[in-house]
Amino acid sequence: MMDAIVVNSVSKSYGKVQALSDVSFSVGKGEVFGLIGPDGAGKTSMFRILCSLLLPDAGTATVDGYDVVKQMREVRRRTGYMPGKFSLYQDLTIEENLKFFATLFGTTVDEGYDTIKAIYSQIERFKDRKAGALSGGMKQKLALSCALVHQPSVLFLDEPTTGVDPVSRKELWEMLLSLKESGITIVASTPYLDEVRCCERVAFLDQGKVRGIGTPDDILTQFASIFNPPGIEHGKDTEVKDDNVIEVEHLVKAFGDFHAVDDISFNVKRGEIFGFLGANGAGKTTAMHMLTGLNQPTSGTGRVVGFDIRTEYEQIKKHIGYMSQRFSLYEDLTVAENIRLFAGIYGMDADEVERKMDEVLKQLKFEDHKNDLVGSLPLGWKQKLAFSVSIFHDPGVVFLDEPTGGVDPATRRQFWELIYDAAHRGITIFVTTHYMDEAEYCDRISIMVDGKISALGTPDELKQRLHQPDMDHVFTYLARQATRSSD
Amino acid sequence: MTLKHLIRKEFLQIRRNSFLPKLIVMFPIVVMCLMPWVMQMDVKNVVVDVVDIDHTVESQRLVQQIAASNYFIFGGQKDTYAEAMKDIEKGSADIILEIRDGQYLIAANAVNGTKGSMGSVYLSQIVSAPFSASSAISVLTLYNKQQDYKLFMIPALFAIVMMLMTGFLPTLNIVGEKEAGTIEQINVTPVSKWSFILAKLIPYWLIALFVITVCLLLAWIVYGITPAGPLWLIYVLAMLLALFFSSFGLIVSNYSDTMQQAMFVMWFFVVCIMLLSGLFTPTRSMPEWAYMTTYINPMRYFIDAIRTIFIRGGGLYETAHQVLALAGIGALMGCWAVQSYKKNS
Amino acid sequence: MKQFIAFVIKETKHILRDKRTMLILFGMPVVMMLLFGFAITTDVKNVRTAVVTSEMSPRTQQAVERLAQSEYFIITQTVNTPQEAERLIRRQKADMALVFTQNRGMQIMVDGSDPNMAQQWTTYARQTLSPVNFHLSPVNSRLLYNPQMKSAYNFVPAIMGMLLMLICAMMTSISIVREKEKGTMEVLLVSPVRPLMVIIAKAVPYLVLAFGILISILLMSRYVLGVPIAGPLFWILAVSTLYILLALSLGLLISNVAQTQLVALLMSAMVLLMPVVMLSGMIFPVESMPQVLQWLAALVPPRYYIQAMRKLMIMGVGIREVAHEVAVMAGMTVVLLAIALKKFNVRLE
Repeated sequence: MMDAIVVNSVSKSYGKVQALSDVSFSVGKGEVFGLIGPDGAGKTSMFRILCSLLLPDAGTATVDGYDVVKQMREVRRRTGYMPGKFSLYQDLTIEENLKFFATLFGTTVDEGYDTIKAIYSQIERFKDRKAGALSGGMKQKLALSCALVHQPSVLFLDEPTTGVDPVSRKELWEMLLSLKESGITIVASTPYLDEVRCCERVAFLDQGKVRGIGTPDDILTQFASIFNPPGIEHGKDTEVKDDNVIEVEHLVKAFGDFHAVDDISFNVKRGEIFGFLGANGAGKTTAMHMLTGLNQPTSGTGRVVGFDIRTEYEQIKKHIGYMSQRFSLYEDLTVAENIRLFAGIYGMDADEVERKMDEVLKQLKFEDHKNDLVGSLPLGWKQKLAFSVSIFHDPGVVFLDEPTGGVDPATRRQFWELIYDAAHRGITIFVTTHYMDEAEYCDRISIMVDGKISALGTPDELKQRLHQPDMDHVFTYLARQATRSSD
Repeated sequence: MTLKHLIRKEFLQIRRNSFLPKLIVMFPIVVMCLMPWVMQMDVKNVVVDVVDIDHTVESQRLVQQIAASNYFIFGGQKDTYAEAMKDIEKGSADIILEIRDGQYLIAANAVNGTKGSMGSVYLSQIVSAPFSASSAISVLTLYNKQQDYKLFMIPALFAIVMMLMTGFLPTLNIVGEKEAGTIEQINVTPVSKWSFILAKLIPYWLIALFVITVCLLLAWIVYGITPAGPLWLIYVLAMLLALFFSSFGLIVSNYSDTMQQAMFVMWFFVVCIMLLSGLFTPTRSMPEWAYMTTYINPMRYFIDAIRTIFIRGGGLYETAHQVLALAGIGALMGCWAVQSYKKNS
Repeated sequence: MKQFIAFVIKETKHILRDKRTMLILFGMPVVMMLLFGFAITTDVKNVRTAVVTSEMSPRTQQAVERLAQSEYFIITQTVNTPQEAERLIRRQKADMALVFTQNRGMQIMVDGSDPNMAQQWTTYARQTLSPVNFHLSPVNSRLLYNPQMKSAYNFVPAIMGMLLMLICAMMTSISIVREKEKGTMEVLLVSPVRPLMVIIAKAVPYLVLAFGILISILLMSRYVLGVPIAGPLFWILAVSTLYILLALSLGLLISNVAQTQLVALLMSAMVLLMPVVMLSGMIFPVESMPQVLQWLAALVPPRYYIQAMRKLMIMGVGIREVAHEVAVMAGMTVVLLAIALKKFNVRLE
């Protein structure tokens, strides 16, 4: 069998930073190959070199037998690429985006429709909506549709499922595996273990070096400490009090005649870890925006830490912490400066801030990076820092909107240790996530489907009630009942 | 208290930026050193072609006078009017002086109306000097006795520098936070609208203070021009103008989604405000409708006031009207800026 | 070809969807034309004049009436001493004062802040006041091309030069850099489409837009401002096309250098806008500048375009007379385009 991709001792550095050093691997024709590794391991640089977008400093690479340096045009004719930060054209509609990319790749939407049907059919109903108005996961689905509408002989996908809900991720991988049957070679990177297992072989990259290549099971066992950290024990000793921190009744948010959040009611008790789950576009972020006082509800009532979300939202803001989907600390400020800023905003005393900052940084093992610019930190670190900042002022409740998107398993585990620690101190946690293992960590979860809450209870209760073996199946079972997919 | 932290943040961000500190220092310097030389509206170096058909002693003397004048450059003798016209069409001459039978014809290229008419007036003064009895009317020029155009333009340059620095930078700042997503994080904190907006404005006022100081120093060092009126009043005016433009910039950015949009909208208004302020051409020459708009144009009050202080040596008494108007408009814009910033939609 | 058309359509949609920018793009020419055509003038009118006299005699009466009857001056106040008049001028209540002295003399006291206007005011005042009959003078003045001295004649070509440069260079550079910033450029580069085609397809809608604006400026100047189009229309359009190409190449060059929209914006503003307004002879005549600046001005492309348009449109000369300007612009286009294409990155970094 001829190899579709051969990489031979490729090195690449940006100034002093060595992104790739002496990387070699090969991918057979029609193989599904995974590139895995923590953030900053050099995966994106590898993809770019293979797409002929970057020149390697040393070594050679061929794609479909063509050299990526010398035969750029041949390579580009044969490859499809979906970059990690692919963001489409915000001011074009879904359909226009898809049509444009189809034409760009010399095909039409009709021709490619079968390939992308599984994913595109979920957003097709909203084809006249502008891409800029879509939620993160929906955008990702559209981007995937655009990248897959043609059938290249080699397909490169750089973390294609960040922010996509589990059901859609499954559908995507089913789709990819069917593409493989038509002989397409696929190279994908992903932080999700279930996706890693879908690959035939994976290469584990760390700090620009290949640490191991083999079947997913081999690699995952070999590097179990990184990929499969032992689950954390939820110390049930945290006291869940009986008073409600969040009370929501018949909450509705309508945009025109579209009800993004459609009559939801629930309570969250003090000290609880409340998982707020739902497919992309089910209305999670909208609901969270109303609870944090960023948006006014259309109708219904809600109280957070005892204040009305409609009228006393400025009061609420004094007693909550918030970490948004997008990383939102100031990248051009240092770690310490960010902490001082946000602590200062909440009116904390300067001496106390310094004392507590040292404590927090020690806990995060960040002491050496106190004066580093936040922009220079790896993603996982940033997320941990953002969380620590959001609970720095000891709020009554903290809202976390997909805090672990795109983060590797080991870092996610550390993140949840931080969450447990905060819950232990009596901070109520309100969290959304697409990782079902994380859902199991929650005290109670709700699952939103089409703007409504279709299930609410402890993870065990839900599994029993719906007769499903684990949360993954619970979620799939409920989400498949959805009739719409949009926010 | 929170204000202090927010302001510190703004300064840190400005300092960290690789471009802004350089811009803040270099921009006023470059503008003050270059622009006064560019902004010369006075008519100079007008090229005169002479078509001398008479060839008298008189006409010879005239040519010498033209060549000696500050205003004119002698473009050459041409045999016929048509030949001289060629020069005009090519753009190598501006005025033709034809001398025939003791009559003088001055034909000026008036595409640029000011240049054409002023040139022909100057030229006709030279030509007709021997014929007109010396006028009984004397002229006393007040204030700008050397007729130095730089003295007229330098206060206006202050206005331009202030406008660009305090108008555009805050605009880019807020839209930048919107695009980066950090504004959402700020919106869920209990920061009051006032402190957030003030924290955005105060750094630019301090920058404005710095910039105006640099401008004043440069005007003194490079051009030897110092204000005839009180210095403190110039600072007051500068602060009021900064208040207006920074508030205006924030308003534009509050209503814009992208940097491009904000820049275009800003640019549009800035051009209108600048052109209708009397900075380049007198407000009084404008038609009625255009003149009416100057009543709400803060730049007009600033220009009027700063020229009164700088050139005419006026003080607070002479400029009270402008200072009040500027303060009023500035305060109004400040309130609007706070009002238009929405923490909850 | 199909890809090319799809590209152009996509780019057109980007432009059309951004309503606010569109409004500015088309509103700008209209407002600029109105402002420059009507509001930005140095006409002498409404000059507020104070009269300084201790008592009204028939002689003073006559002089004052002459001024008051002229369209240029309005008599605002009568005061007793020159000091009072000076205070009025300082407070911006008057621009000029007519002082009658004891010994039958007259003096014009003028606010010299603006040397140009002061000069014009005194000239007009003298002419109005002096009894000399100008018909007897052997001097005969004629103002060519623009006898009414309308400022629009001067500014219309300048506005064309500025706006075309702004739209073509700034908008194309920003739209290319935006794709870089958003990550879509990576996909476009990896697609089978030739990079050159991406660039050409990006330029086409802006070319059309520029033409639309050019035509609307010409129509406005002809029918609203009453500026005649004296020269051959064909050459006006041909030279404009050359200039648009020049501007597009400049935009392309900026997009190669700039990595973020902000940098592209600032570069366009500093490299394009400032020099265009200041050094192109649009407002300030290049001849009055010091030599060094004149050399610098020689590098500013709109300078040549504005000069060529003034000649073609207003003076109505033939293409032969603007050969020099056209040659310089053509040379600049070739050089800029060559550099831009050579520097165009088919890879990242």
